[in-house]
Amino acid sequence: MKKWPFSFPHHPLGLLALGLISVPFVGGDFFAYQIGLFLIYGIATQGVALCWGRLGFLPLGHALFFGLGAYLAGGVLKASTKEPMWLFALPIALLIPALLAWVLAFMVFSRSLRNGPYFSLITLAMSMLGFLAAQQWSEVTGGFNGLGDIPEVAGLDRYSSFYWVVACVAFCTTVLLSILVKRPIGILWRAISQNEDRLQLFGYATDRIKANAFAFSAFLAAMAGALFSAHQGIVTPQALGFVLSTEFVIWAAVGGKSSPAGALLGAVLVGYASAELRDFFSFWEVIVGAAFIVVVRFMPQGMAGIWINKQEQKNSTTNDPPQLAPTSSAPYKVPDLIFDGVRVTQSGVKILDALTFSVNGPGIRAIIGPNGAGKTSTFNALTGRLPVRGGKVSIAGIDVTGWRAWQVARLGIGRKMQIPSVFSELTVDQNLHIALWAGRMHGTQSLQRSPLAWNTKICDEMLDLFSALKDQRHVTAGLLSQGHRQALEFVMTVLPEPHLLLLDEPCAGLSPAETHRMIEVIQFAVQRLGAAALLIEHDISAVAALGGDVYVFHQGKLLAQGLLAEVQNNRDVRAVYAGAKK
Amino acid sequence: MTMDSGVILHGLNITYELATLSLTTLGLAVVFGLLGVMNMAHGEFVMIGSYAVVAVQQLGWPVATAMPVALTICGLLGWVVERWLIRPLYARPFDTLLATWALAMLLRKLVEAIWGKGYRNIEIALPAPVNFLGTPYPAYRLMLIFLAMLILVFLYFWYRKSSAGLRVRAMTTNPVLAEALGIDTKKLASQAFVIGMSLAGASGVLLSPLIRIEPGIGVDYLLDAFFVLVVGGLGTLAGFTGGVSVIGGSQALVSSIAGQTSGYAVVLIISIIFLWLKPDGIFSRR
Repeated sequence: MKKWPFSFPHHPLGLLALGLISVPFVGGDFFAYQIGLFLIYGIATQGVALCWGRLGFLPLGHALFFGLGAYLAGGVLKASTKEPMWLFALPIALLIPALLAWVLAFMVFSRSLRNGPYFSLITLAMSMLGFLAAQQWSEVTGGFNGLGDIPEVAGLDRYSSFYWVVACVAFCTTVLLSILVKRPIGILWRAISQNEDRLQLFGYATDRIKANAFAFSAFLAAMAGALFSAHQGIVTPQALGFVLSTEFVIWAAVGGKSSPAGALLGAVLVGYASAELRDFFSFWEVIVGAAFIVVVRFMPQGMAGIWINKQEQKNSTTNDPPQLAPTSSAPYKVPDLIFDGVRVTQSGVKILDALTFSVNGPGIRAIIGPNGAGKTSTFNALTGRLPVRGGKVSIAGIDVTGWRAWQVARLGIGRKMQIPSVFSELTVDQNLHIALWAGRMHGTQSLQRSPLAWNTKICDEMLDLFSALKDQRHVTAGLLSQGHRQALEFVMTVLPEPHLLLLDEPCAGLSPAETHRMIEVIQFAVQRLGAAALLIEHDISAVAALGGDVYVFHQGKLLAQGLLAEVQNNRDVRAVYAGAKK
Repeated sequence: MTMDSGVILHGLNITYELATLSLTTLGLAVVFGLLGVMNMAHGEFVMIGSYAVVAVQQLGWPVATAMPVALTICGLLGWVVERWLIRPLYARPFDTLLATWALAMLLRKLVEAIWGKGYRNIEIALPAPVNFLGTPYPAYRLMLIFLAMLILVFLYFWYRKSSAGLRVRAMTTNPVLAEALGIDTKKLASQAFVIGMSLAGASGVLLSPLIRIEPGIGVDYLLDAFFVLVVGGLGTLAGFTGGVSVIGGSQALVSSIAGQTSGYAVVLIISIIFLWLKPDGIFSRR
């Protein structure tokens, strides 16, 4: 019972299996044929729901991949009537759309994190382009009349036995997706939709994770398309057009965009009901439109929202005994950081003005300076958030000017943000795991269960120091107090075992007692990792407590550097802070 | 002489295409540019404007009443939609997009349920062609060109020179600060949305004698308008006219050479390239 995660038949998947099996017996063969069509659409809808509900970007033109899969599979099936060897080419019908999707997503997402809405519209335009192409290129596609006379697969009668193939595929994709969302990759997907920036700062190449997920969802759509071609025997340009793309989105929204079973059932229930009622009741589609508005506005989780939240919480923990995580792939040495004449400007304002400084060897350094001195901007220039207009940033002798956040992170740089940024809809445990996996989890491990049980010595030590976090491991991170959130983000920054920590006001918003605690933990962690830390802080008593060199920034330049006492006696520094004459 | 009149005719045709594109795009430009809302139901408001003419004719009212009817319906609808659908979703751009899309579907299906799917034509006697620089050209089209220019010039001066325009620009640049200075941004946003939707409805009325009216025409207007904004950017008249010229011009040009489908395909490709390579600043507002 414990090992088998689904307690049959009370589990939704058990109910789904029972429902799918009973369709032909309850409604007869023709009813099963009709339901089969919407199960096929449901599989493609699951792909849309995966991108939208899990990763947070919305494919508006998913019919492109559905139709492409349908045309390719239809063509292959037709060719196979003359030459049976063609059947071996069937996987290509699924792989070409997936590859196209990967390239498309990678090209868009690698340019910027914040172009989700453009991506939606690009997919929409692509699907319209596909529609035009299918209509125009009639020698290949049959044009407006479609590609007809597609044979049945392996002698399965499309009006009876083919239903079982469709039902089986639909059940398998539902199970597969339900498992994946509980695996590490599923947690990373949700993390992307909540805070992609943060994920990049751990060294995750989020553009690739998104491209992979989009390719997978296109693969599902293409598979649905292939089933469609065999099921219907004809593929028309409508199979890759705008209207079908829209319907996928509506079904996903109404059924439940975060639930694979919900998306499938959304397609079957809404789709079948529409097909049946459309002709008798002219206001039916007005009602569907109104329902869609209500769902978008008030029920972001759709019909599945009624049961999904309880399920997620129950299933997200593992009962496996903790196991030691593999060692981090981050370089095991403090990297030298050099800023050489770095210039950053934004809308005409100089933010960093030929900033030059360097950090060599372990230990804590503090950056101080009045507001607008360029402290946080220095971190932003380093982690690829601000475009560097001149000069050079190098880490361990490598020129990293203009690198992306995840590339910099992989050199062993950890960053804590000024406003504590955690994955607010994930539990503390899941937050910690994401940090723990960074630099450790490779390729297929993200599909396995074992990383969910990973642990490290430093993780235990850190949680012993912040015992409040330990007691709240199953609490959603968004519900934590400011102090606990600061603590959580700091622990997360430490877990990948970076050797250069960028800490942006780690004590902001903390009580004096908490500040004291935080300083102790920072000192402990830096020592424990043998790392260097660069810390932005306004509280001079905290800076004094931390010890180490102090860098004073002013107007995007390094004004002074040295021990706190020296810096405090520096005339230029006094001028900036106290307004004395230079 | 024939050569000259051919050139003039061609120029007038392209000007006319650009003018109608400007008319249908303006409403979206106002809403998108000022509120940052991607209103997927924009085309449906144009469609409603056209159906206002159909309805007025069915009722046997004079055609001239179509304009106030369309303005009232679209304005009221815009007010309700802004208040109950857009405002709660300002912080969620995806959901705004979807909610307005759902609205588009609702409006389309509603019109379809009332008037059916078929094409409708407006029965109206348009004024006879007039001579324009020696070339006979439909007077109604000339009037549309003139009107489009007039509206553009008016909006430009309103936006740049009037105090209401200044408040709107303040809201667009920094809504929080604008509110702190005593500008009622909620009211302003509501007004901007109502104006945008009324403009869309008005363009539907104006175009109704020249197009085939059916419930699904909205999508084309939406996409063309959207592509104009993607190419032209927001907030400047130069960008707007630039976008109109690139989209309208390339569509007209390619269509005349290689057929309408190719013209449409070219517009799609141009837009994909712009969305991919030059998208900055369009969704970043608000």
